[in-house]
Amino acid sequence: MSERIGVYVCHCGTNIAGTVDVVDVANWAAEKLKHQGVVIAREYKFMCSSLGQELIEKDIKELGLTRVVVAACSPHLHEKTFRTAAKNAGLNPYLVELASIREQVSWVHTDKAVATAKSKAVVSGAVSRVIENVALDEIKVPINANTLVVGGGIAGIQSALEIANAGFHVYLVEREPSIGGHMAQFDKTFPTLDCSACILTPRMVEAGTHPNITLMTYSEVVNVSGYIGNFNVTIKQKARRVKTDLCTGCGICQEKCPKKVIDNVYEAGLGYRKAVYTPFAQAVPNFPVMDVENCIYFKNGKCKACEKFCPTEAIDFTQQDELMDVQVGNIILATGYDLFDATRIPQYGYGKLPNVFTSLEFERMCNAAGPTEGKIVLRDMKTAPKTVVVVHCVGSRDENYNKYCSGICCMQSLKFAHLVMERTGAEVYNCYIDIRTPFKDYEEFYKRVLEEGGHFIRGKVAEITDAARLPEEEGKLIVQVEDTLIGKQRRIPADMVILAAGLEPRHDAKEVGKLFGIACGTSGWYTERHPKLDPVATMTEGIYIVGCVQGPKDIPASVAQGAAASARVLGKIFQKEVALEPIKASINQETCSGCRICNGLCPFNAIAFIADDMVSEINPALCQGCGTCVAACPAGAISGTGFSDGQIMAQIDGLLFRNLEPVEA
Amino acid sequence: MKQYAYYPGCSLESLATSYNLSTLEVAQKLGVDLKEIKDWNCCGATAYFPVDELLAYTLVARNLALAEKEGFGEFVAPCSACYKNAYFTNAYLKKDPDLAEHINYALEADNLHVNGTMKIRHLIEVFIEDVGLEEIGKKITHPLKGLRVAPYYGCQLLRPRKDHENVENPQFFESLLSALGAEPVDYPSKTRCCGGSLIVTNRKAALDMVHILLQDAVNRKADVIATTCPMCNVNLEVYQSQVNREFGTQFSIPVMYFTQLMGVALGIKPGKLGIGKELVSGEPVLAFAY
Amino acid sequence: MSIELSFNNEIANLMYATHGNPIKDCLQCGICSGTCPAAEFMDHTPRVIIGLISAGYKDEVLASNTFWSCASCYHCSVRCPAGIDIADMMYALKRYSMWKGRHQEGLIGPAFSESFVKMIVNSGRSFEPLLAPTYIFKNGPQGLVQEAQTATGLMLKGRMPLLPRKIKGLKKFQNMVRRIIPIGESS
Repeated sequence: MSERIGVYVCHCGTNIAGTVDVVDVANWAAEKLKHQGVVIAREYKFMCSSLGQELIEKDIKELGLTRVVVAACSPHLHEKTFRTAAKNAGLNPYLVELASIREQVSWVHTDKAVATAKSKAVVSGAVSRVIENVALDEIKVPINANTLVVGGGIAGIQSALEIANAGFHVYLVEREPSIGGHMAQFDKTFPTLDCSACILTPRMVEAGTHPNITLMTYSEVVNVSGYIGNFNVTIKQKARRVKTDLCTGCGICQEKCPKKVIDNVYEAGLGYRKAVYTPFAQAVPNFPVMDVENCIYFKNGKCKACEKFCPTEAIDFTQQDELMDVQVGNIILATGYDLFDATRIPQYGYGKLPNVFTSLEFERMCNAAGPTEGKIVLRDMKTAPKTVVVVHCVGSRDENYNKYCSGICCMQSLKFAHLVMERTGAEVYNCYIDIRTPFKDYEEFYKRVLEEGGHFIRGKVAEITDAARLPEEEGKLIVQVEDTLIGKQRRIPADMVILAAGLEPRHDAKEVGKLFGIACGTSGWYTERHPKLDPVATMTEGIYIVGCVQGPKDIPASVAQGAAASARVLGKIFQKEVALEPIKASINQETCSGCRICNGLCPFNAIAFIADDMVSEINPALCQGCGTCVAACPAGAISGTGFSDGQIMAQIDGLLFRNLEPVEA
Repeated sequence: MKQYAYYPGCSLESLATSYNLSTLEVAQKLGVDLKEIKDWNCCGATAYFPVDELLAYTLVARNLALAEKEGFGEFVAPCSACYKNAYFTNAYLKKDPDLAEHINYALEADNLHVNGTMKIRHLIEVFIEDVGLEEIGKKITHPLKGLRVAPYYGCQLLRPRKDHENVENPQFFESLLSALGAEPVDYPSKTRCCGGSLIVTNRKAALDMVHILLQDAVNRKADVIATTCPMCNVNLEVYQSQVNREFGTQFSIPVMYFTQLMGVALGIKPGKLGIGKELVSGEPVLAFAY
Repeated sequence: MSIELSFNNEIANLMYATHGNPIKDCLQCGICSGTCPAAEFMDHTPRVIIGLISAGYKDEVLASNTFWSCASCYHCSVRCPAGIDIADMMYALKRYSMWKGRHQEGLIGPAFSESFVKMIVNSGRSFEPLLAPTYIFKNGPQGLVQEAQTATGLMLKGRMPLLPRKIKGLKKFQNMVRRIIPIGESS
């Protein structure tokens, strides 16, 4: 008995109809594919709208349709929409096929005749294939109510607190010895000039003491397996060489430690720490860690001052890294950003000319608890500058480094200008290309800095040098820039230059992404599910990205994303179970020869070998239906549910118009 | 032994004859076989591009074709302008079959054809990369002890290529000078333009640019400025007196080709290196070696 | 039907080997003009010239001395964040100016380049004394004296070519040139 197929061709406004003659395609399907079972073919402006979906639902009920083909946008967008519509009308959702005539036709071709002909082929393929589809049921799996948050910056802390406050357990994993992230390094935050630590530390303490949060600092995720609702994560807890159950956080060990090390992480290279250290006074947790690479004992067996002086015998040189496995239902990645390395722009002199500073170095300088106790001084740690130049767009908006705009540096630079003027009375010049102050109270902050007497030179700085040409340039840093608003090249003698370096993805973002199975975009930031409408989800169900890891953004946006992801996670937790797509692979054990080629190929470790029977077996819960094993099996013993050989061959026949009735000569 | 196609360029015949002399002497001493291309023509330097682009590339391509015809695999130019022209003509020929067709159509009239198969090198690259600093070090007999040298790279040796390490702060010239026993100074204008042909077409601008180069070298207490291009050398040396007149300065700093410094360190007689042909005497440099 | 090309396109079309140039991508950031060692001798900085081109102010551009003061050091091109080869564009402007025969009064560049081209076409090699007339009189009587002094100094050191050199295959060389630009019968 033939199937009863409904074909729906979407205009998508002019997105498809502008290039494809959709009416012609629908008519063609109704006529030429009638013999295959097409009983109705419609075209409609927006199939994904409720009216469009109603069309399908009505036809299913009234015309007794057994199969549906929707020729529209990529399945990525609306396959679920149309499957749900079918389900609502009582038709199994997996008897619906999408034919992409937008992304694969109207968006890539300009010739109308070619596009229309191709659309017909695509629809023909989909019709031939849908006939071979079978009814499938979603696989329901329970959701583990635990959540993993990777990264303890402001975004990660926000996510963790929201979920924990809702009554569910969170593992908060942080690579550094303390949570806090970059926000813990700042002095004041724009535009309110709130003290960063003052607004951050209460949250840090809350996260550190929350009964529902297991804080794992100085730890890293080393392995992830599983799928949404059921992830198995291996976390390496690096050896602090301090027994945290005995340590009181008194700080004597770092006081007595004789080895000073330049702190390149928290102090951004501006200040020092010891070999055994807590990164800053308000660290959460307040347990120190031992930097084994710089520790005198580990180098030549001497010292051990920390152990000698520790009042609670908490120092343990023999401590080893520990691995811990946790089971979670959802994972939120909040690992933040790295600062652009300003030495990549040699003509700015960073690293060579002492009084050129990066933004993070300057933040540490302004911070009252920092290496200069909040005094704005030159590298000699005592002279106050009389003229400061802030250079915008260092490593950003530049084909030679990073093409994107780092978003926060204009406000950061204005903040620096304000702080310099407030604390030193020095003259400040901001050299910029554009002033980007889009959000709440940002433009007003720009006005404030103008009113306070900040000088602005519109020009991208060409070079910073100490080679003086005139007497007034002697002993100064000269910033050479074209003042584009007056069209003249200027040389500004300055005492201090601050480089507003851009934000970059973490140096190991790609590797970390692979661990979790998510992809990076061309600029290296993680790819969100939809750039406009779904910025915190990823293509991998159960993995979310929040904060700068998704792209440069300010603190309010990071916090908002952190909260957004927790809402998603809580939503999933409340549903108690998640429905998995039944598109899976399965092995016919009769034909399986036990060669095990598929075992190693599976990217999701879903295939196990049953030694007793000498055959392989696929775990449908882990299988993502990628098809790798199906293609690889030399015996052809593996088939894909929802993408069987029969279905694919039928689709090819349809594409090549082999399914059409022969034309009478 | 590898033979390089040697393209001296017009200025090495007369204005920069010391560069030619010292190049050939040093090459021989270090075992670098440079063979002058037969009947080469002027590469057009910077004067052709203002008139006709295709002709400018064709002029250069003729030399590449001649070298290819003689079977060379590597093309070496001591002059940065010639080097830059050859490098880019070669690169465009390889990348753009349309351009190659046009040019080869013209070359056909001279019974030539260019394939763009050669590697284009600047002379200094050949010494540093192919001979190697260690080898050069072994052959030094008169290290230039205490000689403070301002390593003047100039422009076209480095730019507009962007693909090589550190176009803004190269260090290879300094490494070479150190290998000669000399003291390279931190020269802030080491990649700043000398004005090139502006010395003719806009003398005021060029003299200002030369002035800055000379002043920076003197400020950094350099004893000599080492150059890698005859145009740079001429602008800095021949026009030093004009700079003095224009700016009321009293510069008298020797400007020598890097090959001359190499030659002295390798123990070659100064006369053979063209030392003594300068308008600003290079003799003071010899005191550091002998 | 003829298409009116924008000035922007006209200039881009003159950059054959680099397949035009993304002049349209200019952010007007000014790093080219901040870097240019000759900027203070130009009536318009390189950035302003790009602005004028984009705005279609052809007369202003052709009347400026900017591109004739370009030393082709390529520092601007290497630093441009939009990837524009500005120095190459300056060459294109020179070509445009020569082609249209329009440029600022009193410039040495155009005559110098023309003489240079003629010289190479006639002999295949450069011979400095032939070029002298294009510039030695342009820097005033003092300039002339200085030039004479310099020339004498060089001659005494054996660095001034006394006779022009010709390449051996000159005839064929000229045939080659003829396939690119018309140079009339051989000289």
